[in-house]
Amino acid sequence: MITIIQQRAKCIGCNYCVELAPQRWRMSRKDGKSVLLESKDKKGFWSVKVREDELDSNLKAAKACPVNIIQILE
Amino acid sequence: MSRQQKIELMAPAGSYEALMAAIHAGCDSVYFGVEQFNMRARATMNFTLEDLEKVGAICKENKVRSYLTLNTIVYDHDLSAIKTVLDKAKASGITAVIASDQAVIAYARSIQLEVHISTQVNITNIETVKFYALFSDTMVLSRELSLIQVKKICDQIEKEKICGPSGKLIEIEIFVHGALCMAVSGKCYLSLHTANASANRGACVQNCRRSYTVIDNEDGHELAIDNEYIMSAQDLCTIDFLDQVIESGVKVMKIEGRGKGADYVKTTVECYREAIDAYYTNSYTKGKVADWTERLKRVYNRGFWSGYYLGQELGEWNDAAGSKATTRKIYLGKGSNYFDKIQVAEFKLESYELSVGDSVLITGPTTGAIETTIAELHTSAGAVQTAKKGDNCAFKLETPIRSSDKLYKIVSNN
Repeated sequence: MITIIQQRAKCIGCNYCVELAPQRWRMSRKDGKSVLLESKDKKGFWSVKVREDELDSNLKAAKACPVNIIQILE
Repeated sequence: MSRQQKIELMAPAGSYEALMAAIHAGCDSVYFGVEQFNMRARATMNFTLEDLEKVGAICKENKVRSYLTLNTIVYDHDLSAIKTVLDKAKASGITAVIASDQAVIAYARSIQLEVHISTQVNITNIETVKFYALFSDTMVLSRELSLIQVKKICDQIEKEKICGPSGKLIEIEIFVHGALCMAVSGKCYLSLHTANASANRGACVQNCRRSYTVIDNEDGHELAIDNEYIMSAQDLCTIDFLDQVIESGVKVMKIEGRGKGADYVKTTVECYREAIDAYYTNSYTKGKVADWTERLKRVYNRGFWSGYYLGQELGEWNDAAGSKATTRKIYLGKGSNYFDKIQVAEFKLESYELSVGDSVLITGPTTGAIETTIAELHTSAGAVQTAKKGDNCAFKLETPIRSSDKLYKIVSNN
């Protein structure tokens, strides 16, 4: 299992994560920021544990994020 | 005729501290962003949607016009959130939205929220002014025009009687002070290419502010570029030709700096306020200009030039990284008490020390920014020359302070 963490408040809604890992990310119509699917919020840090097969796409998303708010823990 | 009307001074407000500093310093209007939909999305100081009501109320109470900056490029996934922001702005009594994307312009118009056209649209000619006059009464021109070009546009508006939706003549707004972009405003993709961070989504990483080396691909020689930060433009400053700016016919002058602190906002707004007032009372003198320039140099700046307004050739690049401000501020501590009757402010010193004769800056979300010099200082030991870290110190101050206020010492950078 890997853990994906998003510091959501700092998201600028660029859509890169949704483009690169569409199975794990969606844009919120409510506030225009990305949503880490199935994640839980802990003091602004949203995290979710997922299977290894999602690693590559989410590493790409983390690398592309312009504000560096996506972290992957292997 | 309408040129007799006093020019509007618009200040940046990236935080409550800056907002209050701008109001106290005498601005006529403020502009600010909320959430991620503005060109300073990366700044940590943006207001949130929940702040809009309070910001609107503060501006109304202080008779200052309020402009919401919503000028990034907009994607489909943003549309719903943007409508929410605009609805909230309308409900909060915000005067107008500064927009560039047609989706924002169209929705704002549909809810009768006044629209100003952002500099991101890069208006550089009278026909474009005519086009946007269908939607807007106030337009910010491109920062790359000369004052002659600006004046020509202003003259033409009067000559052809180009009116906006309100039926009044179009008002032209220009930037008069602050950071300039090396590219034509907003048309820069450097940050996007190197860091995936689009300047047009407010996420610019400011690569242009760094120094660069040229590499000869044939022999591998590296050449430093003449000790200059070749892509880092100096900051715009028009205080020494503000008379020409006013006489060009522009109706609004705007100071850049939503990412900057309350001390910058206070100083720049005060200087430009005094300069504008001096112009209208025929007391705009060289001596005063020298004084304003020195004061402007004390706060964040990358060195000054007159931008493109006086028609200089490109080449006013920086020779240093970061600010050239002649002063800097050192954090000392937090406000702890204010004694109304005797007008004394008490602060808890958390770092460094404070002495009689020191210049200090106090900032806070209600206080704004206050500067003063310490004439006498008291601690629990009575009158002292110097208060140390850990001390509760008190000094005379006519303005009340709050526990949310921060105390800084202003020291010279030289």
